[in-house]
Amino acid sequence: MPPLRSPKVLIREVSVVFKGRGSGLLALDRVSLEIEAGEFLCLVGPSGCGKSTLLRVCAGLIPQTSGEVTIQADRPGAPLTAMVFQEHALLPWRTVLDNVVFGPENRGVPEADRYARGREMLALVGLTPFAGAYPHQLSGGMKQRVGIARALANDPEVLLMDEPLAALDAQTRTIMQEELLRIWAELGKTVIYVTHSIDEALLLGDRIALLTARPGRLKQVFPVALGRPRGLEVRASPEFGALVDKIWAELREEVLRTMREEEGTRR
Amino acid sequence: MALSIPLSLLVLWEVFSQTSILSPRYFPPPTLVAATLTRLLAGGDLWGETLVTLNRLAIAFVLAAAPGVPAGLAMGLFRPVRYAIEPYLALLYPLPKIALLPLLLIVLGVGEKAFILTGAISAFFQIVISTLGGVQTMDPRLLEVGRNYGARGIALFRKVILPATLPAILTGLRLGLGLALIAVIAVEFVTAKSGLGHLVFRYWQMLLTAEMFAAFVLVGLIGLAFTRGLRALQRRTLAWKEEIGWQ
Amino acid sequence: MSWIAVASPLLLLVGWEIASATGLLRAVFFPRPTTVAEHFLRLVVDGSLPHHGGVTVMRVAWTVLLATPPAVAVGLAMGISRRTREGLDPLFAVIYPIPSVLFLPLISFLLRSAEAALVVTGAITPFFLVAYTTMTGVQQLDRTVLEAATHYGARGWRLFLKVLLPGTLPFIFTGLRLGLGYALIVLIAVEMVSARDGLGALLWLSWGILKVEEMYAALVAIALLGAFLTWGLGLLRARLLPWVEDVAGTAR
Ligand SMILES: Nc1ncnc2c1ncn2[C@@H]1O[C@H](COP(=O)(O)OP(=O)(O)OP(=O)(O)O)[C@@H](O)[C@H]1O
Ligand SMILES: [Mg+2]
Repeated sequence: MPPLRSPKVLIREVSVVFKGRGSGLLALDRVSLEIEAGEFLCLVGPSGCGKSTLLRVCAGLIPQTSGEVTIQADRPGAPLTAMVFQEHALLPWRTVLDNVVFGPENRGVPEADRYARGREMLALVGLTPFAGAYPHQLSGGMKQRVGIARALANDPEVLLMDEPLAALDAQTRTIMQEELLRIWAELGKTVIYVTHSIDEALLLGDRIALLTARPGRLKQVFPVALGRPRGLEVRASPEFGALVDKIWAELREEVLRTMREEEGTRR
Repeated sequence: MALSIPLSLLVLWEVFSQTSILSPRYFPPPTLVAATLTRLLAGGDLWGETLVTLNRLAIAFVLAAAPGVPAGLAMGLFRPVRYAIEPYLALLYPLPKIALLPLLLIVLGVGEKAFILTGAISAFFQIVISTLGGVQTMDPRLLEVGRNYGARGIALFRKVILPATLPAILTGLRLGLGLALIAVIAVEFVTAKSGLGHLVFRYWQMLLTAEMFAAFVLVGLIGLAFTRGLRALQRRTLAWKEEIGWQ
Repeated sequence: MSWIAVASPLLLLVGWEIASATGLLRAVFFPRPTTVAEHFLRLVVDGSLPHHGGVTVMRVAWTVLLATPPAVAVGLAMGISRRTREGLDPLFAVIYPIPSVLFLPLISFLLRSAEAALVVTGAITPFFLVAYTTMTGVQQLDRTVLEAATHYGARGWRLFLKVLLPGTLPFIFTGLRLGLGYALIVLIAVEMVSARDGLGALLWLSWGILKVEEMYAALVAIALLGAFLTWGLGLLRARLLPWVEDVAGTAR
């Protein structure tokens, strides 16, 4: 028997209700998930199903209405989470490097150490020459990479990534996917990764959790039985194609349901 | 040639005035105005009045900014504060503050205090409104970034809220200074017995038109220097912004 | 929580009432709110507030009517043609920061009628503000929208009516809203120095003869006028431009 160990992230029966008109809006409905240490979990689901909300609950940015989220802290002093936001959300008045060291700075890491770490992470995402630039001087893809470096520099227990590549053009996205695979292999972080792209989820993830249309419930979890290290070439394999079809069949139903509901509310 | 339009207007004015197409009694030729301005400046009279106006403006501005910025921030950050102050703001912000002058003259007596306070109140409301607007229109995701990356309390304020609001605060200060200048000049024009505004009024009443235009030009130059200077300051402080509009 | 918004001014008024009634505040300077209300009503009934208020409102209306059409025209021209913009910019940059009360002497030399001089003086700052915001409005118009419009045959008047004007209207409105505030300052100030009627004159005259209660009544009337104008313009914008919010921050 393997030794009994608790998962890195335990999401148990989490529901979120946004207060508003009337009874409020049920965004998440009793979602339960366990994520192992070092696992790369992808979260997919139709637009508005509560993916970002789930990440925000994990980050402690909004409170859940019921249920609980436990994150196993292994290293004392390390922050529990670091989020890569959907639209980079860099602080526009800070240079690239100062954005990257923002987390360590707030934790009181000495200046020399945090800048050393910041430069290291900038090198990892290939932005060393832009350390002194302001965000508005960067392209969309570069900003997103700064956001990733910022999260890595904070060295969290769990990395939360909210569609970090959604705003990028197809070519840049492909490059960034490879980069992410490389960085993840190098650092071995636990990651919860939200994406709209099944391809991307399959390429990156160990497992894929599918949420239903609003209210978000856990519909199914798909293990990704594709070997590691993984490269872009897996997309050509028959297993990849079969899995895409399988997940798409489930997701399609949910997307159609969302569209029908939106149609209904418009009338 | 960027200055061609103003220059040709000046030349036209000169010609019309010299040839009496435009009454030189009311519209003295620009050359005469320039000469008068140099004479008055050399005589020292104009400097004294300029200093009086600038002094009033400076005190009024400080009196407005020192409480105005914190008040705007507090209203933006603490809802009860906003609810408590908002009704006064709604009524007093659109009020032309010059209308408070008689009240201030009654309460404080005819004198510097009332003049300066009229200017200060004019600037104060603008500064509060702009600062409050800055907090309210701040990108909420930046707050989430701050919290997720461990900035709490004072650190969150200093590292996220204040820099995010700074452009709005600077705009408020710039607009406030402009409003204070308008109010101070208006007060001088209406009632004070000193300052550039009063000078224009006095020369007008005495029909010393060349002198009147000279004082007028000086006010224009001061206004121009202020707007240019503040805009440069804003641009330097906000180097991280892509652009600042035409203002 | 918004009970505070009601309680706070109410408390102030009640406190003021008590303080002046008991002599804590000098009633000569700070008459009781109820006394002010009484005088306000009396001035309404005897027709003097409606008269002075009407005069000021008419002047405000004239400044808007005088300033807006040329300002929109100039603003559009400056937005469309770079030469116009660069030509007028230095002129505007020098004149715009001058507090416009000071234009009163100059304009009264030009115009015989004191009334006309007053209104034109009030129209100066709104003119600049509307011209500037209109120009900004044209500049922010999407180039591709303009191209698409010309491509589909909108030229000249059509382009103006169907694309330029609706596209810049929110900006024109913002300019008007800001300009109205400045116009009111100038009009009240000029009424104080040189007019025989209007709310500014009423205010100044009642101060001159130390009728403090009437001065307060005039002040309240001016505050109400300011609040009413802001509110009315907001309403008008919501009517005419339901698809946009105020583009504050683009102006000045
Ligand atoms: N702060 C909030 N207040 C009220 N409702 C909210 C709030 N945040 C999100 N919602 C609602 O909750 C639901 C889930 O939102 P969420 O942003 O989590 O969706 P998502 O799955 O991330 O969508 P997308 O794929 O478009 O990013 C949506 O219907 C949204 O409108
Ligand atoms: Mg989302």
